[in-house]
Amino acid sequence: MKDKRINKVEVKNLTKKFGDLLVLDNVSFKIKKGEFLCVVGPTGCGKTTFLNLLSCLCEPTSGDLLIDGEPANPKKHNLAFVFQEPSSFPWLNVEQNIQFGLDIKKTRQKDKKERVERIISLMGLEQFRNSYPHQLSVSTEQRQVIGRAFAMDPDLLLMDEPYGQMDIKMRYYLEDEVVRLWKELGTTVVFITHNIEEAVYLAERILILSNKPAKIKEEVLIDLPRPRDVADEKFVKIRKYVTDQIKWW
Amino acid sequence: MEKIKKRFISEIFYSILSLSSIILLILGWMYLASKRPELFPSPQETWDRLILFLEKPIRRIPLYSHVLDSLRRVGIAVLLACGFGIVLGTALGWSRLVKSTFGTIFELIRPIPPIAWVPLLTIWFGIGEFPKVLLVFIGTFAIVVVNTAAGVKMVEPLSLAVGKIFQANEFQMLKEIVLPASLPAIFAGIRTALGVGWAIVLAAEMLGAVSGTGFLITKGMSIGDTALIFICMFIIGIIGALLSVLASFIERRICPWKTDR
Ligand SMILES: Nc1ncnc2c1ncn2[C@@H]1O[C@H](COP(=O)(O)OP(=O)(O)OP(=O)(O)O)[C@@H](O)[C@H]1O
Ligand SMILES: [Mg+2]
Repeated sequence: MKDKRINKVEVKNLTKKFGDLLVLDNVSFKIKKGEFLCVVGPTGCGKTTFLNLLSCLCEPTSGDLLIDGEPANPKKHNLAFVFQEPSSFPWLNVEQNIQFGLDIKKTRQKDKKERVERIISLMGLEQFRNSYPHQLSVSTEQRQVIGRAFAMDPDLLLMDEPYGQMDIKMRYYLEDEVVRLWKELGTTVVFITHNIEEAVYLAERILILSNKPAKIKEEVLIDLPRPRDVADEKFVKIRKYVTDQIKWW
Repeated sequence: MEKIKKRFISEIFYSILSLSSIILLILGWMYLASKRPELFPSPQETWDRLILFLEKPIRRIPLYSHVLDSLRRVGIAVLLACGFGIVLGTALGWSRLVKSTFGTIFELIRPIPPIAWVPLLTIWFGIGEFPKVLLVFIGTFAIVVVNTAAGVKMVEPLSLAVGKIFQANEFQMLKEIVLPASLPAIFAGIRTALGVGWAIVLAAEMLGAVSGTGFLITKGMSIGDTALIFICMFIIGIIGALLSVLASFIERRICPWKTDR
């Protein structure tokens, strides 16, 4: 099956060094518009670095990064980023944190209220809306950070191991939510995870990275119907296959 | 139950301990006063002096008015120091350009202790209100600036990254992220500034004034009225402590996320 969607992201010969440390080594690939891409790879191989490059938080050593055919520029694209570390603002309560991006973009008051309410109930944060981050557990704080990203209705959503801290129930729930958001908005999602089951459950395509310096070791297309069943025979087969391909331990 | 009882007993024990240290201090004071009455007024004398003072104010200015005069000088100066200091401190911490221009001048002037300005300020402006307020301003401005700049420098890079991702412009970055993130550091500065400002205003008033707590205490010295000096010292201490409480109160109101930690 040929994917006819246009390219959202094009990565060409991307290389990144921190001093002498080569992290990304001449990586090239494309992400289609509206695609759900999962990236798995060993710890410290450069996954976060890749997202930082994509969102222009740091500069590539060489190579090109195009979003919608133009050099990546966060000023032009409506992207949202869920960082690996807790990144809520300690001086804002949950509601204000979720609203932060909307405030920056000067969204209309009525719109803002509606969206914030939707996100708060979506993330199950009703009882915490006036709490400050230091009063929350790590996973609750992370839900709020995810909510802050979802509230933007982004067209490019970057998520760096967002569900690592969640218990299974919350993770399953939020996995379904990100899939729903993706379907409803046609968002392009780049989702980094260490959890292979999660990757197979979510992705249309999985990129497996090698050890540092990171190269693309393998691409796995997953065309299972949704909603996917983690106990399904085909699902298990793909999961095993991806696990075998990684074997970074 | 046993545990609670033990806690209770130790609470009482330590309360008695601190109470007896106060009593000990007063006893020591009374002892010294009985030995050298010309140097140490007794607690009773001090109290009588206070009552007399309240009935017959010095220079017809009541006690509270002296205190308010000092406080007003500190208040105006610290308020101005905060206003300008937070602006300059933020600029210093945020912009290389400001740091290498204004920052350099600032670093040259800063090590001069505020009291060293007194002769110059007296020649320039005399001994009125303005030079006193200016002296306190000079002494507290630097504190606010340095603390603010340090706070701005220490803002989490991750917080800045979040702002960048949300496409905050430079003004929004400063107003929505850098300033709130540095508020605790800024408040540490304001708290110190209030303390130092209180000290400087006393020095300024001691060097030449017709009202204020600093004036009163030097008055006590010139007429050899040790009881008056004692009263002033008590009041100065109490006000200093109150200023610190005030700073904590304002901090808790403005930084609610710092409470119940
Ligand atoms: N700012 C930096 N300066 C120097 N080295 C860095 C910097 N950021 C990352 N590195 C190094 O680059 C390598 C890749 O880091 P990165 O955070 O991208 O890994 P990762 O794949 O996200 O790891 P994890 O799975 O643990 O999140 C690591 O060896 C790290 O030490
Ligand atoms: Mg990472």
